Amino acid sequence: MSNAIVHIEHLNSWYGKGKERKQVLRDVSVELAPGEVLGIVGESGSGKTTLAKCVLGMVTDITGELAVNSQRPQMVFQDPYGSLNPAKTVGWILEEPLRAAGVKDREERRRRVAELLPLVGLEEEHLARKPAQLSGGQRQRVAIAAALIQGSKLIVLDEPVSALDVTLQAQILRLLAELKERLGLSYLFISHDLAVVYQLCDRVAVMTGGEIVEAGDVDEIYDHPKHPYTKKLLDASLALD
Amino acid sequence: MKNGKQKNWYLTIGIILTACMLIFIAVGFFWTPYVPSAMSSGDRNGRPSLRHLFGCDSFGRDIFSRTLEGAGSTLTIALAVLAVGAVCGLIIGALCGYYGGAADALIMRLCDAIAAFPSVLLAMVVLAVTGPGKYNVIGALGVLFIPSFARLVRGEFLKYRDRDFVQSARLTGVSDLRVIFVHILPNTWPVLLSGLTIGFNNAVLAEASMSYLGIGVSAQEPSLGYMLKDAQGYFFTLPWCTAFPAAVVILLILGVGLLGEGIRERMGVAS
Ligand SMILES: Nc1ncnc2c1ncn2[C@@H]1O[C@H](COP(=O)(O)OP(=O)(O)O)[C@@H](O)[C@H]1O
Ligand SMILES: [Mg+2]
Repeated sequence: MSNAIVHIEHLNSWYGKGKERKQVLRDVSVELAPGEVLGIVGESGSGKTTLAKCVLGMVTDITGELAVNSQRPQMVFQDPYGSLNPAKTVGWILEEPLRAAGVKDREERRRRVAELLPLVGLEEEHLARKPAQLSGGQRQRVAIAAALIQGSKLIVLDEPVSALDVTLQAQILRLLAELKERLGLSYLFISHDLAVVYQLCDRVAVMTGGEIVEAGDVDEIYDHPKHPYTKKLLDASLALD
Repeated sequence: MKNGKQKNWYLTIGIILTACMLIFIAVGFFWTPYVPSAMSSGDRNGRPSLRHLFGCDSFGRDIFSRTLEGAGSTLTIALAVLAVGAVCGLIIGALCGYYGGAADALIMRLCDAIAAFPSVLLAMVVLAVTGPGKYNVIGALGVLFIPSFARLVRGEFLKYRDRDFVQSARLTGVSDLRVIFVHILPNTWPVLLSGLTIGFNNAVLAEASMSYLGIGVSAQEPSLGYMLKDAQGYFFTLPWCTAFPAAVVILLILGVGLLGEGIRERMGVAS
């Protein structure tokens, strides 16, 4: 527990104020060890993104314990069309986190961007383009690079491949696995698809209605699901294959 | 689905017409064939001719020279009004849209209240207190133009403030002001530009109406509106005194209006 990079115990969270105040997360407890990939699965509306936002400090109406032992954790969003500024070039988008971190020297920023590019499978020529001139897969690579450029070790991936077709999904998942090994990252990986979680995650927590109903090693959950909701999710993902 | 290569005629004609009018006006800043206020007794009531392209008025002043000068004055005032209204409206709208909350609600209520009255009417009231003159016209109209810009900009910022790319920026530690003016603002340019064209035309018309009503600029700096007022007594006897300044106002407004329409059309295709 002491060396966990994310430690969450009995976390409750709410949206809205006054009469509108609505509880989303209920008594959530999870832990993410350094170098680990923790999957969060559940249907749409189960509170996965909310949990991610709690970890990133974007949801503040919470009770319970929440400890994040990592500098500036970053997020990769589901929709690479919305997560990149349409008015800016890829080069600008990748340099901006460095500017925000106080790297004043332009050459230094360029050098660090150039170093990262091959790691995420992008070329120098992409730097001058606007997001609209890139494919969905390329955009998601840019989003991943932007999340990594400040040197963050904890990355929250909120359905990073759900908007991509199956071939691209496999490519991006492989890239994420590679990056994790190379850079020593930890992922909180959110998905509604158990099959995708199975490919990348070490452990998985199953969420529904804002609660975690089952958690454990991914093989264990896959082979011997205990909770009926997990079984239902599994059936659904097997039926697709 | 629109064909991306389809010619955007509004934009093309708008750009050409606006450019022609701007060149016409720019020439007037540096050169006029005659001194606009010079009276030549031999040319009184002169018809348009090669010597006096737009004819002469009852004092024998060259209408072409006066139109050039008047258009310059109209353009300067309209741009100044636009600058005051757009800059203040941009700042207010951006902050209100981005932060929301009680201050936003209050300011927008106030904007609604101001916008409920025709701006020329309100400007008349202001000028009745401050007296006429170029700078008073600019100040009064400029302030009255703020609400419409503020509302336009606020709408855009509301649209963008919860987008993922804005959240990403905040996560990486970008300051609020930088998010507002560097990350969000460039995305609102097309809407802002089209708003500016509408604002420009409203400013030209408002200034012309006010000068026409005799509460605008002074005789030392006649604008096109002032010339129209001046000429109204000779509408039938010396029609060129009205026709040419009016034509310049109309062409200017038409050009800028088409330009705005073209920008909107282009935006619609792109999104
Ligand atoms: N900003 C918000 N304000 C109010 N309710 C929200 C907000 N974001 C999400 N919710 C609600 O919280 C619940 C969980 O949403 P979310 O965390 O996005 O689920 P998931 O990511 O699993 O699809 C949903 O019922 C959703 O309607
Ligand atoms: Mg979600």
